[in-house]
Amino acid sequence: MLCFSSNSRREPSLRDLKVAELDDKALREQADTLGLALRIDELRSIAQRLGRAPSFVELYAFDAQWSEHCSYKSSRALLGRLPTSGPDVVLGPAEDAGILHLGEHEGERYGIVIAHESHNHPSQVVPFEGAATGIGGIVRDVLCMGAEVVAVADPLRFGSVDSGHEHQRAVARGVVDGIAAYGNAIGVPNLAGDCYFDGDFDDNVLVNVVALGLVKESEIVHSRVPRHGENFVLLLVGKATDASGFGGASFSSVALDAQEAQSNKGAVQVPDPFLKNVIMRASYRVFSLLRERGIEAGFKDLGAGGIMGCSAELCSAGGFGAEVDLDSVNVALDRLLPEVIAVGETQERLLWALPEEIVEEVERIYNEEFSLPQVAQNARAVRIGRATAAQRYQLRHLGEIVMDVPIDFLTGSVRDTLPVEEPKAPSMRREQDLLCDRTLDDLFHAILAHRDVCSRAPLYRHYDAVVRGRTVIPRGEADAGVMAPIRGSRLAFALSVDGNPRIGRLDPQRAAEHAVYESIRNVVAVGAEPIGLTDCLNYGSPRDARQYGELVAGVDGLARAARGFGLAYVSGNVSLYNGAPSGHAIPASPIVACLGRLTDLSRCVTLPLKEVGSHLYLVGETQRALGGSVLASILALADETVPEIDIDRIVAEHRFVLAAASEGLLRSAHDISGGGLFVTLAEMSFGCLADRRAPIGIDLDGFAGWSAAGAFESAFGESGGIVVEVADRDIERFEELAGALESVREIGTTIAEPLLAFEDEAWEIADLHRSWSRPLEELFP
Amino acid sequence: MKARVAVLVFPGTNSEEETRDLLVDCGADARIVHWSEAASLAYYDAFVLPGGFAYEDRIRAGAIAAHDAMLDAVIEGAQAGKFVMGICNGAQILLEAGLAPGTGEIRRPTAAFTHNAQGHFICERVLLRRTVAATRCAIAAALPEHLLIPAWAAHAQGRLAAAPAHLDELERDGFIVFRYADAAGATDAHLAPQGSAHGAAALTNREGNVLAIMPHPERDAWNFNHLDRREGSDPLAPSGGSVLFKSFVTALERM
Repeated sequence: MLCFSSNSRREPSLRDLKVAELDDKALREQADTLGLALRIDELRSIAQRLGRAPSFVELYAFDAQWSEHCSYKSSRALLGRLPTSGPDVVLGPAEDAGILHLGEHEGERYGIVIAHESHNHPSQVVPFEGAATGIGGIVRDVLCMGAEVVAVADPLRFGSVDSGHEHQRAVARGVVDGIAAYGNAIGVPNLAGDCYFDGDFDDNVLVNVVALGLVKESEIVHSRVPRHGENFVLLLVGKATDASGFGGASFSSVALDAQEAQSNKGAVQVPDPFLKNVIMRASYRVFSLLRERGIEAGFKDLGAGGIMGCSAELCSAGGFGAEVDLDSVNVALDRLLPEVIAVGETQERLLWALPEEIVEEVERIYNEEFSLPQVAQNARAVRIGRATAAQRYQLRHLGEIVMDVPIDFLTGSVRDTLPVEEPKAPSMRREQDLLCDRTLDDLFHAILAHRDVCSRAPLYRHYDAVVRGRTVIPRGEADAGVMAPIRGSRLAFALSVDGNPRIGRLDPQRAAEHAVYESIRNVVAVGAEPIGLTDCLNYGSPRDARQYGELVAGVDGLARAARGFGLAYVSGNVSLYNGAPSGHAIPASPIVACLGRLTDLSRCVTLPLKEVGSHLYLVGETQRALGGSVLASILALADETVPEIDIDRIVAEHRFVLAAASEGLLRSAHDISGGGLFVTLAEMSFGCLADRRAPIGIDLDGFAGWSAAGAFESAFGESGGIVVEVADRDIERFEELAGALESVREIGTTIAEPLLAFEDEAWEIADLHRSWSRPLEELFP
Repeated sequence: MKARVAVLVFPGTNSEEETRDLLVDCGADARIVHWSEAASLAYYDAFVLPGGFAYEDRIRAGAIAAHDAMLDAVIEGAQAGKFVMGICNGAQILLEAGLAPGTGEIRRPTAAFTHNAQGHFICERVLLRRTVAATRCAIAAALPEHLLIPAWAAHAQGRLAAAPAHLDELERDGFIVFRYADAAGATDAHLAPQGSAHGAAALTNREGNVLAIMPHPERDAWNFNHLDRREGSDPLAPSGGSVLFKSFVTALERM
């Protein structure tokens, strides 16, 4: 796409598209030449509403604002089905990020700001920059709520990385390097994440990202001009605008074409974590200035749609119009076309709406105290416009008005009604136990070494897990990352992100329910009370009735599960058109983050076994269904049912686990997920090694005979549940607490010998560890 | 009166708050001093350079920060005998500034903490052991013999490199204050997770008033983030790696 005017800077910018004079074919051709993704009917409705030929700037503005990425036109109606309110919800999904109530400390109420997004297409095209700017963008979403950014997490779905898949391997490495380069540099610890490898992501990886911030609830800054904000100054902060990221919003809203991927590289933004680090710290200073003066302001991240998208949404959310002068924008290059300045997605920028009286002081903080212009070429805080009572959105360039549209028409909701095909759930239900000619030993090692089960350490050791010094449980040392964000307080939060693409391929609705259940289960396993959720809906094309049906089923699954667990979604994102132009879509991939609360961090439970002579209990039921399990994948069992989720029973189990944790009865705990119970037990023993202790062994003396579901299902099935370690001295109280709960069973004891003993088998922990710890080392050396 | 410690912040520094907090909890009057406030540095008794990516690690890590105006005050202070501790990126800056090991001219480095053997950033738990006499480095003097200090290696450039003859000199004259250790206290060179020469984790200068330490003791320094926290202990109390900070503050108070 053209980014520069061809000769002099004084070239007239009023170029327009004579929509009314063109027939559909000619209009499509012209729109394609301009790189517009807007449909013919959308172009005609714009021209009709404006009553004239829309200018190029206006066309690119609508192209961004009405893109799937900005407008959620295919999904907004569905998202209304999700629960979004509850006792711990401080701010639901209406602004750049949601907020959950963490607790009180010294008379102040603290909230955790949480945002969840995807950067899938950029990461496929330029993995390093795409993943890095994914972190950069989500961090701004959290920052602009007035929060200190305290953690990030990243759920990843890569293609097959077997030898020969050089491109997929390079993408996986580039993504991990990009996340590390950005997150490490800005000093935000990487607290949680998950990672799957699956050939169905060969052409379209998923790079989701979650960021968390800490805010006093009395000091939240909203993503809107305040009610009394007429004539508030729009102050642009950050990197000088350049030609990068032009067309990013529309790029994220079409299916990727490998041939075109190269030419789309210009639509991806360029990260600058070093500048971001300074902008974050300068913004914290501005937050305290505003607090001291009692000034209410608006603050918003520049993401999709650039200056135009951000200023239009910031002002219209407050009930105002906006006037922006593109000539006052600090630019990195001369002769940038006005549409590039207006909608380009240069990174590391935010927009304040401030009363005139404070603007100079804020400019001084960014430009002098934190010397942005010295940190990056022409970076600064600069006035670019104001909020107006007139309900118009106006852009000027070289003294001319290049855009003048009703602001509600630009930012108002556009919705598409689309045909839906209901997905078919797998029908086969086995009545018999699994019969299999492979030995338990063979399968156990194969599962431990499976890419979706084996140790993630080779990957996450690229990420700084502990910068800021507030990490209580770093990634990999328990089911959820735990952090104590407030100095001097015992309050802590836990975070887990989950979603199993193997289930997504089989049963879209249940995939969503399992994503919710697993994220909650992980948070419960560290002894934290779940308080809220976010979701990122990664699906194929909404224009394909079957793929759109998967999205509809996914939203229904998310809604059902969250209601059952009594939780709300406070933030989220929808990423559609994930797949290849051949029509091959990714598996339905709803990814859920769960935030949990620990009122006393000394009660948090970790994963490694703690002592010999403890009793191990399984809290949960085993089902015969193997759909979505690693075992089914290894044995190529195609048409299996996915385990059902009995929410009422699970809620009772979780309540019991949390009660036991709060009384200090759980020495360790670990949930059952990928690979099943035996993997869970092995990992609890491996955890001792990370603690620099000799591994404690396990004798599954109580295991045989209790399972109605069959041996393989019991050992490797993935129906959920949590294994807990209880010291001998505590079992009376533990069993008293369990009361009438039938799904709590003792399955074994911990032993001094470094063995996992079951019936006639006795696996050396060291052997199991060898299978588990190494497979990803060759990919992430 | 409490010792006044400046925690220096360059553009790109990111570990200033926990470093300041731990100094405060160990009894110092520690304050964060920003790069635009370099003029105020003369007021302080000691300097701590925390971790991060000052000036984006352009050229070599720490090379540009070593020429920042803030380093003028640090160099002057160090030469006058004030204590200077650099952690991670701060350690890299001290090497680039020629303050550690300090055997050459100022701002003409003789050794560097450079790219890890594996070629990328690593984040892992480590143990450190002082392998010189208590009197060799005043900052580490109050540590008990044979104590293993928990810390986090979190860097892309933490491998000590220098000319072989210079490395021998650093070894012989006790410049290598801390080495990577295993749980039994062994300090074989291969225990350095990034391939650091002689298993070195920290260097001092000839006078022993400067300490450049690559791993972060402040990230395993209160019970809540300490790996071996005892059950029932106050989660907010200093522990683990805080012993090094305590030793630093104790030495300052005795000056």
